[in-house]
Amino acid sequence: MAFRVAAYQHGIYPRSEDVVAATRGLERGRVTPEEVAEAYGADREDFVSHQQRAGLDYFSDGLLRWQDLFRPLVEASQGLEARTLIRWFDNNSFFRAPGPAAEISMYVPLPPEYEDGAGLPGPRVATLPSPYLFSRVAQADGDPNALMMELTREILQPVARALADQGYAVVHLQEPWLTYFGIDQADWDDFEKALADIRNAVDGRAALILHTYYGDAAPHIERMWRLPVDAVGIDFVETDLGTLGSHWEVGLLAGCLDGRSSPIESVDGTVAFALRVAETVQPSSLFLSSNSDLELLPRDIARQKVLRLGEVSARVKEALA
Amino acid sequence: MTGSNGDARALTSTPLLTFECGSLDKQGWRVKAFAGKKLDDGDLQEARSWGERVGVPNYDELIELLRRSPLQTREQKNEVRRWASRYAVRMQESAGLDAVYDGEQQRTEMYAWAVAHSNGFEWRGSVRAFDNKYYSKAAVTGPISLKEPYHNDEFVFIRDVARAELHVPVTGAYTIADWSFDERYFQDHDMSHAHAERKAKRHAARRRFILDVAAQMIRPNVEALIELGARWIQIDEPGGSTEPDELDLFAESFNLTVSGLDAVFSTHLCFSDYNLFFPGIEAMTGCRQFAVGFANYDSRELGTSEEARPGYRVIRKFRDLSYKPSLGLGVLDIHTNFIEPPELVRDRILYAVEVFGDPSRIQVTPDCGLRTRSWDVAYRKLQNMVEGTRMAKRDLGL
Repeated sequence: MAFRVAAYQHGIYPRSEDVVAATRGLERGRVTPEEVAEAYGADREDFVSHQQRAGLDYFSDGLLRWQDLFRPLVEASQGLEARTLIRWFDNNSFFRAPGPAAEISMYVPLPPEYEDGAGLPGPRVATLPSPYLFSRVAQADGDPNALMMELTREILQPVARALADQGYAVVHLQEPWLTYFGIDQADWDDFEKALADIRNAVDGRAALILHTYYGDAAPHIERMWRLPVDAVGIDFVETDLGTLGSHWEVGLLAGCLDGRSSPIESVDGTVAFALRVAETVQPSSLFLSSNSDLELLPRDIARQKVLRLGEVSARVKEALA
Repeated sequence: MTGSNGDARALTSTPLLTFECGSLDKQGWRVKAFAGKKLDDGDLQEARSWGERVGVPNYDELIELLRRSPLQTREQKNEVRRWASRYAVRMQESAGLDAVYDGEQQRTEMYAWAVAHSNGFEWRGSVRAFDNKYYSKAAVTGPISLKEPYHNDEFVFIRDVARAELHVPVTGAYTIADWSFDERYFQDHDMSHAHAERKAKRHAARRRFILDVAAQMIRPNVEALIELGARWIQIDEPGGSTEPDELDLFAESFNLTVSGLDAVFSTHLCFSDYNLFFPGIEAMTGCRQFAVGFANYDSRELGTSEEARPGYRVIRKFRDLSYKPSLGLGVLDIHTNFIEPPELVRDRILYAVEVFGDPSRIQVTPDCGLRTRSWDVAYRKLQNMVEGTRMAKRDLGL
């Protein structure tokens, strides 16, 4: 086995108690926007240095200012609005459903929230919603696949291109809908085309990773490993490794730390599992991360998970060297 | 509430009875005074103006107390909390509601209050619910038990100050467990172990956790309330539909909490795909009313047709439950400052009555607690809810 192993922390990272207090205070008129910005800045610095300390391979800004996975994209778009609060899968957490109100297009090449990534050390990873997820959470009448293609063309493609232009090394697409709710056979081709369009936009300058979670990937795996992406992410809390087959043509992101559970996984057990993943699946490349973003954990626990990810990654790299 | 169990049962079958089903915002004077902070003129003015607006008896005594801020003693701070209860009860009574509680003014928050008064939990930190709203999340780490019945003091107080009927909200077992981390029941976090075996262990652990909360924490608390005279208790389960494949557990925990107890029990559900509750809640035969939020999903257009009321289409499923519970019909969207006109409330009610074919199975409530709205917005929403209900009653000849 000779393939590259890399670790990174994707998605929304939890806010510190200082940011929690500052944002609460802002809403009650007791804290100024400048004080909130300062608190966010401190969190961002802390998260960056924490990822460095953990020895991760790609760096994220933690999407700390994102109110949910869609909001920055919605707010930077004409024709989309943030609507009703909807439960985020099976969590005590909610997002505002994007709703198309007119023809969709971006006001700006990149939402302002991405400015937080400007000063990150490289190589950098950016997170976006997958086109299938984006279209399915939207409150819209009409053909959801047509909406998926429109969201891809007008939002995800240009944003992914701009991210690659800015030198991001990984574009990470979050896709819990596919494994939680499933997908009709008839929808696969359009989904595949949407992914291919995003891949064309990054044009080999950034790795494109599609990360499925909150559900079992096994029923979809034969289609997933042929998708036009550089790696597919699997939630191993939900998916049995034994169902995934072997000799994947694409890379694999192993979600091997539980982003919704407070106990910190053991180093030995997680390393043993990651090595079994490598041996069983024999992917073209192996990425290690949490099974879902860490947003649903308090910040102190998330910090321990990030450190654990670094420890696991170092041991796996050593074992596979 | 001083009536018998039979009287309480009548409440949940009173046509178009109005009630508030959750928490209200805590006013600035309540928050600052309890935190031992110095109050400013604006805080005093807020207390004075609301005391006058909703007719709180002797509110000058509160103003005098607040003038002494920063408050130092525990008794002074508890007195402020009791005043907040008085204000919330009077606010709801003044808006015209038929059944009230105190908007959970004496509790920190529905989850935190329950956990803080129970053994077996440790705090882990804040987790975001949405936008800039967070909750403190605990982990179960030891055997669960009640430190003390945690709603007794507030119930006795509210019972004495309220003029309207009372319905007591109590956070349910499923929600308490679902909003907590599990560091006690499920121990096998090693992914290198067999997947199917771990999954089975996880499910069994989850069941033990939820039922322990029901039996060791919620039920004894409910028993204590009944002992004090509570007759209508609402088991709050905003987490109820979080995991659709656990609805059997949700129903089992409700039944374990209430079975054999001499009171009327209802439950509150919100912000879910309510289709998911069926058939799971068919087993909740002890539930006399489901208070459910619908306005959040509905149109703001007037009308009583199927097309005009998209947020309410699912109510048929509640109608068809074999044990014929009432529906606490959520008619106010608690996530916006939009003040629903009485005519919109009326049309939502008329649609529901038409679907149920029986007004005694419809009561009227906001989608959820109005905690995220200012008191001014909440009050105006509630006033319009009462007015819209009055209009619906008139149209129905009630």
